This record gives sequence, structure tokens and C-alpha cells, in this order.
Amino acid sequence: MAENWADRISAFYRSPSRFLSGTTAEAFLAELLHELRDDRASYSVKVLLLSPLCEYPTLLCLSDSVGEETALELMSVFVQCPPKSVQFRCHLLLALTSVLVCTSCVSSRSRASQDFLDLLLQIAQDTSDLHGDSSLRSLRATACDCLRELEACSPGLLSQCLELVGGLRQQETSRLHQAYAGLHILVLRNAVYQLTQEIGAGAEHLKALLGGNTSGAWEAELDSGLMNNTDSAILSSLILGPMGTVPTLQTGPDCKELRSVLSSLLEESYLLTPLCQAALLHRVTEVVAMVPGVSPAVFRAQLLRLLGTSEVCLLHTTLLMKCAFTDSLFSAEDEAFILQRLVVLCQHPLLSTPEKLFYMDCILHFPENRPIGFGDGDEALPVLLTPRLASALVPTVFNDSATMLARLNMLSLVYLEEGEEGEESRGLAYLYEHLTSLLHIVENGGSREIVVTFFRAAYLFLFHFCHVERYFLSLIEKLCKLYLRHTHLAPHFINLADHTQDKLTESHWAVVFLKALQGFVTEAPLAQLTLQDLRWHLKMLARVAEEGEIQQQSTLSFLSSVITPSSSSLCVSGDWRLGNSLLGVCRRLLVHPSLDSLLIPLADVLQHLTCRYGDTDIQDHARLYYTLLTTLSREKLAGVLAQGSTEGGRQVKKRSLSCIVAESEGLTSMLTIHQTEKTIFRLSEAGPEPQEETQTERDLKQNETGPGEANAALDVYRAQFDVPGFASEITLNYQLTHIEATDSHFDQLFSIRLHFNLTDDHYEELSDISVPCLFRERTSPNVRLRLKPRRPYPTTLHASAIFTTQDGLSWLTELPHIHVAFQQAFLPLPAPPAWGRGRRLSLFEGLWDEMNSDGGEDLAGGATSLFCCQLKEAALTGLVEKHFLPYLISDVSAKEEFKVLFFLPPQSHLLLRIRSEDPVHFDIATDNWQLLPHISSYLLAITSSQEDT
Amino acid sequence: MSVRALWIISHEKGEHVSICFTRRFATVEHRAKSLAGSSYISVPEDNTVLQLLLTELGLSDPDKAYVALRDDCLHRQRSPALELHVDSPGKGILWPVLTISHGPLTLACLPLVDVPAEPRPALASLLSVSQGLTLLAGLQTFLLGSGGKPDSEGLASRLAMLPSVLLQVCPLGTPLDVPLLGAPATPTVPTPAGNQKQPAWKTGLHRGRAAVNVALMETVRSMQYGNRSRQDLWDVYGTVMCKCEVEGVLPNVTVTLTLPPNGSPLQDILVHPCVTSLDSSILTASSVDNFDGSAFSGPYKFPFSPPLEPFRLCSYTSQVPVPPILGTYQLREEESQLRVSVTLKLHESVKNSFEYCEAHMPFFNRDQIGVADVKVSSGQLDVSKEKNLLIWALGQKFPKSREVTMDGKIIFSGPTPGPTDPLCTELTAYIKLYFKVPDMTLSGCCVDQHSVQVYSSAKPRIITSRELQSKEYFIWNSTGSAPVSSGQMIL
Repeated sequence: MAENWADRISAFYRSPSRFLSGTTAEAFLAELLHELRDDRASYSVKVLLLSPLCEYPTLLCLSDSVGEETALELMSVFVQCPPKSVQFRCHLLLALTSVLVCTSCVSSRSRASQDFLDLLLQIAQDTSDLHGDSSLRSLRATACDCLRELEACSPGLLSQCLELVGGLRQQETSRLHQAYAGLHILVLRNAVYQLTQEIGAGAEHLKALLGGNTSGAWEAELDSGLMNNTDSAILSSLILGPMGTVPTLQTGPDCKELRSVLSSLLEESYLLTPLCQAALLHRVTEVVAMVPGVSPAVFRAQLLRLLGTSEVCLLHTTLLMKCAFTDSLFSAEDEAFILQRLVVLCQHPLLSTPEKLFYMDCILHFPENRPIGFGDGDEALPVLLTPRLASALVPTVFNDSATMLARLNMLSLVYLEEGEEGEESRGLAYLYEHLTSLLHIVENGGSREIVVTFFRAAYLFLFHFCHVERYFLSLIEKLCKLYLRHTHLAPHFINLADHTQDKLTESHWAVVFLKALQGFVTEAPLAQLTLQDLRWHLKMLARVAEEGEIQQQSTLSFLSSVITPSSSSLCVSGDWRLGNSLLGVCRRLLVHPSLDSLLIPLADVLQHLTCRYGDTDIQDHARLYYTLLTTLSREKLAGVLAQGSTEGGRQVKKRSLSCIVAESEGLTSMLTIHQTEKTIFRLSEAGPEPQEETQTERDLKQNETGPGEANAALDVYRAQFDVPGFASEITLNYQLTHIEATDSHFDQLFSIRLHFNLTDDHYEELSDISVPCLFRERTSPNVRLRLKPRRPYPTTLHASAIFTTQDGLSWLTELPHIHVAFQQAFLPLPAPPAWGRGRRLSLFEGLWDEMNSDGGEDLAGGATSLFCCQLKEAALTGLVEKHFLPYLISDVSAKEEFKVLFFLPPQSHLLLRIRSEDPVHFDIATDNWQLLPHISSYLLAITSSQEDT
Repeated sequence: MSVRALWIISHEKGEHVSICFTRRFATVEHRAKSLAGSSYISVPEDNTVLQLLLTELGLSDPDKAYVALRDDCLHRQRSPALELHVDSPGKGILWPVLTISHGPLTLACLPLVDVPAEPRPALASLLSVSQGLTLLAGLQTFLLGSGGKPDSEGLASRLAMLPSVLLQVCPLGTPLDVPLLGAPATPTVPTPAGNQKQPAWKTGLHRGRAAVNVALMETVRSMQYGNRSRQDLWDVYGTVMCKCEVEGVLPNVTVTLTLPPNGSPLQDILVHPCVTSLDSSILTASSVDNFDGSAFSGPYKFPFSPPLEPFRLCSYTSQVPVPPILGTYQLREEESQLRVSVTLKLHESVKNSFEYCEAHMPFFNRDQIGVADVKVSSGQLDVSKEKNLLIWALGQKFPKSREVTMDGKIIFSGPTPGPTDPLCTELTAYIKLYFKVPDMTLSGCCVDQHSVQVYSSAKPRIITSRELQSKEYFIWNSTGSAPVSSGQMIL
């Protein structure tokens, strides 16, 4: 089991998230707690079990209440644990601290945290270990450290115990006094800080605080202050430099008690380890800074010892003291001495590199007594750092990379100031010489580290001195020569050019450099050109071609001289990567501002690639570019290509397997159609458009015609169908609408082309429909779908769309299927517009009779049927008005019998006579019997819904 | 003043990378969250941290010549604190990550930023940074031993001890101490009850015979060019190591360094934190300052109360007028061979009694040494196994004339090319001297046995010693171009 736990805990550590995805935090926590209570488990395993709770308490205790329960459990484990298992008990205290602090139980003063605090104070006061085993003492030390951490996380928590802690510190003679001292100064510091936040607090309050006899009312005040203390300012260091402000407590000169506490702490500081000493001094510095009544001179006795120290943290504290007290503790001579000391430390043979780098950083942020600039965190040279003093720190080739760069940076700042005085700077000349010697090392095949360091050094030099004429061109020439010798460094050169261009916007160094590189590359003798060199040259020329200011003729003639000669094996080899590099250059030339003058040679190059290059893919791409170049206008070409490239962007290079095709990647995405993952929009049914007055609305005169004219009306009516296409279409109105909650990328769509596919052969093929744009926030565009039925049956249409998004990409998306219901194929009687109701009625009768006569010769499909249902009269009228009004032939008011005629293109009719008997009779006649099942289910649907109302 | 997390990574030049130890301090993280507010960046899981660290250290993808993230020229490699560019969850920069590397081990920690995070504060304003550096250095010394020699078994056992070590030195993320290097050799007893407080840096009390051992070691470095246009350089630094076995809770010991008459003052003195007080005159002389003839020149008194373990009491630098060995080195290319001519002169002030003295002459960017037809006036000459290095062992003594010479020619005709070096091309070449002289210092500085004062009841045995050794002692070929090693002399 024990081994099992070791494995599990190490699996947890490898990746807590993955481990917990295999179980749950609750379950794992429960297991841990169960095992911790198990007497059979060894204490070494139990210590291991506590580590996840120490390090990841919030992952295991997902809420404050779980934290509280866990803490109570752990405390009961602690109580039951034999005093001999000191290590385990120490780890338990640490775990408890972590759990209670991180689940906010301490800040909310939960019961468990109060109990724990009592437990810790009890352990801290229990000095029975003095005569026993000294290993027991480490429990007391751990308890003190837990108390200190609780106070650090919840400042003010132990304000009431200040006197107690002070007393314990003074009594303790074993090494443990260090733990008490750390606790004491922190509690004191936080208590004083809280006093500075109290309005009207002064010497009396301070005295009371130190005497431990705080009045009840005041205690409550402190408490409430603590509870409201959500501000993190109290956690922050109070030493901020000359521009920071420290909250102060006005006590007047009367703070003897505080002074004596601080003096005693400082006197004993020598007995602490350097790390604890530094922390203590820092806290004392904060207290003295907050209480002007105590003079910074309390530190004086310690200063020489601290200034001579070899310990980085002790000297650092001294610098922080200087930052806090400036000339009230440090004279001008002190300042010069400290700076000199820092310079010595920056190059001291016995110190480690990180320490030396840190000291260099300290010089660049030196806390001057009288700073000239504002301490805004930027690097600035202290006035006292003269070129002579700084000359001890000149970079040399023997330095390690980081030291060399740090020195170069500092010396550049030094000589930058010197240069301003207009003198010939020998220092600057030295730095340039140093850069040159680095360059020679790179030239002679320096390691990768040296190469990287050189380019960083070159960037630093340019950053500071690219305005200095003398070195401007000389460096360019040296770099170009270096490039020709080591073309594989091309990515470094490009990186350098990119950054000098981005960061030194006022300088045109990068452009001049790239132009020079172009010259070197294109003028180098071709005979010596290796394939490897060519690859890098092409990378370089592609970068050069991004500069609009640089003429590209030489690049083009280089390309053409590389690929066109019949002796050139390049095209024959058909290397795909190389082809891509060639195209990469061409692609940038296509968007170059001087394209007009490049047109013919570029077209030649592309055409040559198209015809001769030994790789089909490259040929295709070249052909595409050629086509784009010769057919698109310049603006369009720039639009298409520029968009592709800004997407990838120079800065954000995709690191993928397809890195090599990234050149054309943007373009490919511009020219291919992407498929959306989800549906973006749909066609939703819109109400019928307000048609120009329908016949039903018109005041039709009933007595216009007599019934005898039925046959004549029929003939006239039928004659209309001789005109091809007469009344052969149904028009369905839809709105194109976004589907909710989709990608905002698709909020604005353009050039939407809707395409429909039939699922059966009842209708003629539909033509595509174009919609200019679709914006989510605007009204939905209307789409009119014109269906030409072969047989007017219900159907389903599949719809898809191609559209363009704002970024110019094209997309294909599927729309939800469109269901065309039977009734959607209904049209009103396509009678001649002049016909009144009478003629329509006689037509109706004529048709009815024809359909009912058994042997109608051309009505072979004729049929009649009857549909009955229970409907009240009002319901029937409602039904008719709701569904049949456009198709009503008889008058609405003629309630004894409604005559309804549905025309279904191309030439079917459905006639209804509806008599309001009980039940209501729907007599149906049609010239197409195949419509009967549809009409009956339609009637069933509308009548049953009418019954419900 | 605390650290949020600690990592120990082992790797071989970026390969075989693994995290050997990791520790997160949850309560410090809790403070970091409240201090940083909305700009808080959480620490990602270890695998992610590892990858980000390797990238920042320039160790990721060792087989790739250029990786944009790793090799960007904007990278602020010059800072002791790294930035980890965390991608997810929660994009942001984790700063300041401190690292310290030696051999296969890299130790890293993330100090708490306890001042407003925006704009980014100066490292110098964060005490947690120097504390983090101290903690890392302490852990490194504990893991690798003071010699810095990694041995895998010892390393593994020390790594296994880390949890209990951290319980002592950094239980909750606030470093309290650095780990001790093993138990003290002499028996110790726990503190007796008394009024005197025991120093926290003293684990117990010495019981037994009192003994004080003071060892003074000077190291001399030199760059000699044999060229009138370029001044030769040399410097000397000394360290005083002490091992004190003295009874008492806080015993007083004073060690005094003295210089001979006319000796140049000791400069840049740094002292161990156990030194109780310092005279300001001791600290005034500095190597970067104008030389001040009237400067204090001793005696240098260092009163201290010793810890149990051996420690470096103090260190200094000194400007001595001459280098101990002055050399000239001349190479001439003659067709397929190199003519070599070397002269080494031992200065008369230096005791002619070496523990060892060797001159190494490496040859780079050439074939292997075929024939070395070279005569030396004294000592013994060997060609190294790899056939790219001449080793001239001078033994314990220079001849009476205090001058040795080497003359001859070397033919490079080995079957395989020798090692390459980007610095030493063509005639740029050097001799490196390795020597140690017991019982002498260049500065003349010494610790008189009688000047060591121990204020205790028993009379202690006092042993003092001194020695001089070389380090980075180069003599460059005067016929080739030599790299500049310090600008101070040129400017």
C-alpha cells in the first residue's frame, strides 16, 4: 500500500489536473484523510500524504466549508499523534496552515482557524522541550513559522499577542529566538501599519499596543478594521523608493518603548541567519519609515557590518534602507562608497553570475539620495557612475553571455551620456570593437549560444547607437559579409532586422541593412552558389521584398538567373521546398508597391516556373500567381494577397509542421472555400406578402353572369393555359435569419448564394438565389422561393449557401432543410382578372360538374370524396376565414354553403363545398385523385386545430 | 520576502530533462493572488514550467539551429530574472523567475512580488529576489557539495533529503536559512540554560579541545600579451578560510591580517556575516577607485564569533606590482610547421618552490600534432593523448637563473583534425599556466599565528597556512591577435 501511495502521490504531482480528472477532488481528499487516520500507515507515508494538502490545498478543498472540515480532521489527527513523531506533527501544522489560509478560513476567522491559532500559540509557549530532546524543539519552531505565515496572510491577526510574542522572544536563549524574532517584528509592523490607518492614532495608542493593554473598545476597532481589510496594501512592501509614499504615524518624539523594542531586535540581529536578518532589517526599516518619531539612526551601529558583508541579501537590505531613508541615514560619501562597492561586486571573482547580474541591476536602479529622474522602474544610470568607474565593467569575450550582455547594456548607457557631450568617445569605440570581436568568433564558427549572444549584443548596440554615423554603415557591411559566409544564420538576421525596424522606428537602419543584404546576395557570383545557400538567400530576399522602399529589380534578375538558364538544374530537380521558397519571394513581389515596373520580369519568372519546374504543386501555384498577376487589377491582387499575409502576420509565425508552406497558407485560405462546422443561418417562413388586392377582397358583383354560362367560362379559363408558364409557379416567402448564439465571426456575411437541391422529382430544379448581405443586427433579408411543381405534392428541399465573411474568407454552410407543405402549393383560382364573382362561381360549378361526371374524357384522374367533422357554426366560419379566404369562390356571408377552389400548379384543382350541417360536410372534388390523401390530412389538421380553439 | 515555488531540474545540455524536485508554497501563492489582484498569473503545472524554463534558458530544442521563441534577439538574457510566457490557462508573464545552474542541475524559484506589479518594479526593490538567490545557492551547494562536483549517488540521496531539509530552511516559502553541509565533524551538545542567546546559525556547541585553523589562499590571474601596444594584466585575490573549534555559546575570536612594509593595501574586502564589527578604514580601499597611496594598510582586524562549520572569513583583492611568472610566447608559421619559442621568468620575489607548475599549450583548428621537435631548458614535455596539447611540466623548481625556455617546431600531420575553437584561429594561441606555491602570498599578506586571539578559558591550538595558486593565467602568442580581456587598461 505504501508504495502504491508513493506512486499515486508522484502521479498527482506530475499533473494534478490530469490526476484529478481520473478521480474527483472529494474522493482523493477523503482517501488521504482516511489513510492519515489509519494507524497501520507509517509516518513517512503520512508525511507524503500531507504534501498535496500543503501544496495544492485549493485543488483538494473546493470550498471553504470543505477546508474547514479538512482542518478539523487534521487537527484531530494531530491530537492523536504521539509527540515522538515530530516530523509528521510539523508537516501537519504546515498542511493545516495551507488549508486554512488558502480556503479563506483564516480571513473569515472560522472556528477551526481559531482552534488552530490557539493550538499554535500553545505550542509556541510550551518550553518543556528545553530539557528534553532538542528535536522536539523543531515543533515549536514550525509553530512559530506557521504563526508568522498566518500573520503575513491575514495581517493584524496576532495584534493582540504582540506583548506575548515579544516576551517569548526575549526569554528564549536557544536558536529558536530567531523564529520568535521573525514573528515579533512582523506582528509589530502590521500593528503599526494598522495604527497609521486609524484617524487620530498617536503615541498613546502605540504605547498601549506595545504594552499589550489595549482597551476593549480599541480592540473591537482593530478587529473590525481587520475584517474590512480587503485591501492588499498592507501586504505590500512599504519601501517604494523616493516617489513612493509611506503611511505615517505621528507620535511626536515620545516613542521610547518602540525605540527600545527596535533597538533590542537590531542588537540581536547579528545572531540571526543572514536570510532572517535581512527579513528582520527590512521589517524594522518599514516600521521606522512609518514612525517618524524614531530616527533612522537606530540602524547606524549595524551599517558597517552590513556594508562589508559578502551576503547578497544583507547588502540588498542596506540598499533598501538607503532607498527608504536616503540622506537621513546615508551621507554623500556613503553613497559614493556604496556605488563603488556595487561596481566591485559586479565583477568580483568569488561571486556567482546571478549575484553579479543582480548587482548590475541594482546599479541601474540605484537609490540615489537626490535622484534627478523619476523612479519609474526604468533603467537609469546613477549620476555618480562615471565612465572611469564603469570601465571596470566593460564587456569582454571572456564573459559568459548574460554577464556580457548586461555589461554591454550598462556601458552603452554610460557612453550614450558621454557621447552627448560631443566628445569623441573612446568607450563607444571600444564597445564597437568588442562587437566586432564577437562577430569574428561567430564568423569562425562559434557555438549556437555565441551566435545568439552576438545577435542580442548587436541589437543592444543598435538600440543605443544606431544614430552614430560612423558605425551605421560599417556594421551593416560587417553583417553582410558575415551573412555571406554563414547563410544559415539568415533567421537571426531577419529577426534582427525585424526588431530594429519595430523598436527603432525613427531609424531606417533595418531598411538600409536589408537593401545592402539584397545587394550582397544578388551580386555574389552565381558559380559558387550552393543549394543550401540559395535556400537561405530566398528566405532573405523574401524578407527584403517586404520593404516597399527597396527596389526589387535585382531580386528578380537574381531569381531569373537562378532558374532560367538551361544549365540550371534547379527546375529539373523539382525540389518542392525550394520551389516554395521561390514562390515565397514571388508572392511578396506581387504585393510590392513597385509591382508595375516588375510586371514583365515577374511574369516571366512565374511562367518559367509554371512550365519548367519539376514539381506539379509548384507549377500549379506558379500558374495561379501568374494568373492572378495577369488578370487581377493591382488593387484586387493586393487585397487578395495582403489579407492572406496579415492573417499570419510577420510577428506571429505559426509553428506547425506545415511551416514551410506557411508562405502560401494565407493565400490558400483566401482562395479555398472553408466549411462551417455549424449551421450559421436558416430560411424561416415569412407571412405572405401583402399582395395587390386579391379577388376575394374585391367587391364582386354576384349577378354579373348567369349560371348558364358555365361551359363558356370553362373554355375561356382553359384557354389561358395555352400560354406556356401560365400559373405554373408558387412563390414561397422566407426570411434569411441567423441562428442564435453562433460565432461572432459570422455576424456580417456578404455575397450569399443560396443553392437548393430537390429530394424528389415533383418539382423543377430551382435556380440559385443571391442575397447581398446578412448582418446579425439588421433586419433579415427576404428570400422568395419560386417553385415550379410538376406534381403539387409536399416536398423537402436541401439548402446550402456559399458566402464571404468580413476577413475575405469564403465559406460553405448547410442550412436546415426546408419543408414545403401541401397547402403551400395552393394558389387562388387563376381566373382572368376581369372576372367577377359570378363568372368564378359558374366556373366552379362547371368544374364541379365535370369532375362529378363519371366519364369526363380529359379528366381521367378525377375523383370525389367526402370529409366530415364536428364543428360549430362559428368555428366553421373561423376556419374558412382563417384558411380558405383567398380561395373562396362563394361569398363569405353565404354561410349555408362555402365554395372553395384550390388551384395547384401546373393544372390541378381541388374543389370544396362545405355545408354547415351536423357534422359539417366537406364535399371534395378534384381532377387529380392523387391529391386526395393530402387534402384529407390537410383538412384533418386544420379542423382538429379549429376544434381546440 | 518569500518564494512561490521552487523547481530543481536535471538535464544534460538540454537533453534527458527531468524535474527532480518541486515545491509550491500555497500560502505564498495566496498572498501573490491578493497582491497582484487582476494581474495575477497562476503558476502552471510542472511540465509546462519545465518547457518554458528550457526555452528561456536557451536549452529547448537543442537540435534546432534557430527557434524564434528561444533565440529572439530582444530576449533580456542580461537580467538575472527570467520571464516565463505562460500561454494557458490565463495568458501572461510569470516574473521574476530566478535560476542558478551548475553542471547538470538547474535550480529555479519564483519570488513573491510584494510591491505594486504595474509598472513592473525593479528587481532591486524586491528583497525576495536576493533571498531567492541565497536560497538557490544554498540548495545548490547542499546538492552538489562545496566542490561543485556532481556525483549521481550522492545527488540522489541528497535529493531524497530535501523535504526534511526544506522543513528546516524554508517550511512555508519564506527562506530562513541555507541547508548545512552535513553534520559538524566534532561532537556538539545542545545549549545549556544560560543568559547568552545562541546564534541561530550555530547548530550546537563545540566540546573538546580548542583549535583554530586559518588558511590564507591567494589566487593570481593574468593576461600577458608580450606586445607593447597592449598592457599585460594581472590581479590577485585572496580568501581567508577558518575552521574554529572553540567552546562557548558566543566565543570571541580575532584574526588579524598584516602586510609587509610598503605592501599595497588590501582592497574590496568582503566579510562573513559572523564578523561582529568592522573598522571603516578596512573597507575604504577599492580596486575600482583611484589608487590612494595614503590608504590604510593594516593591520586588518576581524573580530568574529565562529560558526561550527568551516567558513570563509573574508576575501580581498590586491594590486601587486609584478606578475609571479612573466612569459613570452611566439609562434611562426613556416610552411607546414609551426616554430615555437617560449620564455618563462619567475620573479625574484616569488619563492622558488612549487607544489606543481605546468604550462599547457593547446592548438586549435589544426590537424593533430604529428611531430613535436621541441627542446626545453628545464622540465619535461609531453604531448597529450588527444594530440592537440603540449604539456610542459616544470616540476617543483625553476633553475637558478629563474628562467626556462622552449624552442622548436611542431608539425601537424595527424590523421584526424584536432579540436576547433572560434577564438583561437590562425596564430591566436595561448599558454595557460597552472601552478601552486605553498607558504607564500603575492601581496605579502599573512596571518601571524600569534595574532589569532581566542577569548576562552582553554588555550587553543592555532594553525595558520598560506598559499598561492594560479587561475586563468594566460600568455598569448605575441605574433597573433589576442582578445581583449579588460577594457580598463585600454580606455
